[in-house]
Amino acid sequence: MDCGTALGKILAKADGLLPREEAAELAGHLAGCPACAAEDAALSATGPLLRALTGIRAMEKAPALDAMWTRVRAGIGESREARRRSSWIARWVWIPATVAVAILALLFYPARTDRSPFHPSSFDVAVEDVESDVATVALVDKGEDLPRVIWIIEDAKS
Amino acid sequence: MPSPDPRGRPGAPALFFLLLLALLAAGPSEAADTVTVDVGAVYASNEGTSIDPALGTIQGKLRSMFNYTSYRMLDRKRRPLSVGETGEFELPDRRSMRATVLPARGDKVRLSIRISDGPRNLLTTTLGLRRGGMVLVGGPPHQAGVLILIISAE
Repeated sequence: MDCGTALGKILAKADGLLPREEAAELAGHLAGCPACAAEDAALSATGPLLRALTGIRAMEKAPALDAMWTRVRAGIGESREARRRSSWIARWVWIPATVAVAILALLFYPARTDRSPFHPSSFDVAVEDVESDVATVALVDKGEDLPRVIWIIEDAKS
Repeated sequence: MPSPDPRGRPGAPALFFLLLLALLAAGPSEAADTVTVDVGAVYASNEGTSIDPALGTIQGKLRSMFNYTSYRMLDRKRRPLSVGETGEFELPDRRSMRATVLPARGDKVRLSIRISDGPRNLLTTTLGLRRGGMVLVGGPPHQAGVLILIISAE
C-alpha cells in the first residue's frame, strides 16, 4: 500500500467508513510509515473534538429552541381560539343582517312600484260628468278591452 | 371538546329568504280608505317609432287606439290620497292636475279631476272606476305631438 492510498483509508477510518479487513491492512502500513501514522493520529484526535464541539453548540442553542417551540405552541393556541370566536360570530351574524335587509326592503319596496310598468286590472270607467272652459271634450269608448279616453280638443289648437 | 361548526347554521339562509319573500309578498300596506292615484304623462308623436317599455301592457292598447308611432313616458307620479283629500300633480308645459278622492262604495273609486293650463280650465270631470282601473286623458299639444295622461287608481 502506498501513502496516497493509505491517506484515503485514513480519512475513511476517521469517518468510521473503513471496512475491518482494510483497517488491518492500513494498520500494517502505519506500523512501517511514520508520516502516515502521524496523519492518522492527528485525524483521529480531530473527530472526537468536532463531535464534542457540536454537542456543546447544541446545548447552547437548547434554551432558544425551547423558547421558540413555546412560542409556536402559544401561536397555535391563539389561532384556534380566534377561529372559535369567528365561527361564533358567523353563526349569529345573519340575525342583524336579516333585520337590516328587511328594513331596506320596507324602505325601498314601495318606491320600486313607482317605476313598475302599468298593468291595469280594469278599463271599466264611468264618466259621471265632463266640462271644459276652453276646449271641446270627446269621450272615446272602443270596447271593454281598451281604456276609455277623454280627448281634449283645445279650440284652434288640436 | 368538539369545535363548533364553522359553516354556521344551515337553516339561516332559508329563514332569511323566507322572511324576505314574506316582506315582498306583503308589499306596501295601504289603508282601505286610501286611494293611490297614479298619473303618467306620455308624449305621443310621429317622431320615430320607439315605445317606452315603462308603459308595460298598455303599449299595445295605445298603438291600437291612436295613430301615433312613438310613445315616451315623460313623467310619472303616485300619490296616496284619503277620501276628501286633494292631490296636485304637475304636468309638462306648466299644466297641472288636481285629483280629489270622493266617497265611494265597495272596491269602487271616485275621483274628481281638474286639469288646468295656467288659469285656463282644460277639463273638469268626475270618474268612477274600480281599484286598479285606468282611464286615459289626451289631446293637449306637446312639442310635435300630444300629451296622453294615464290615470289609474289603486
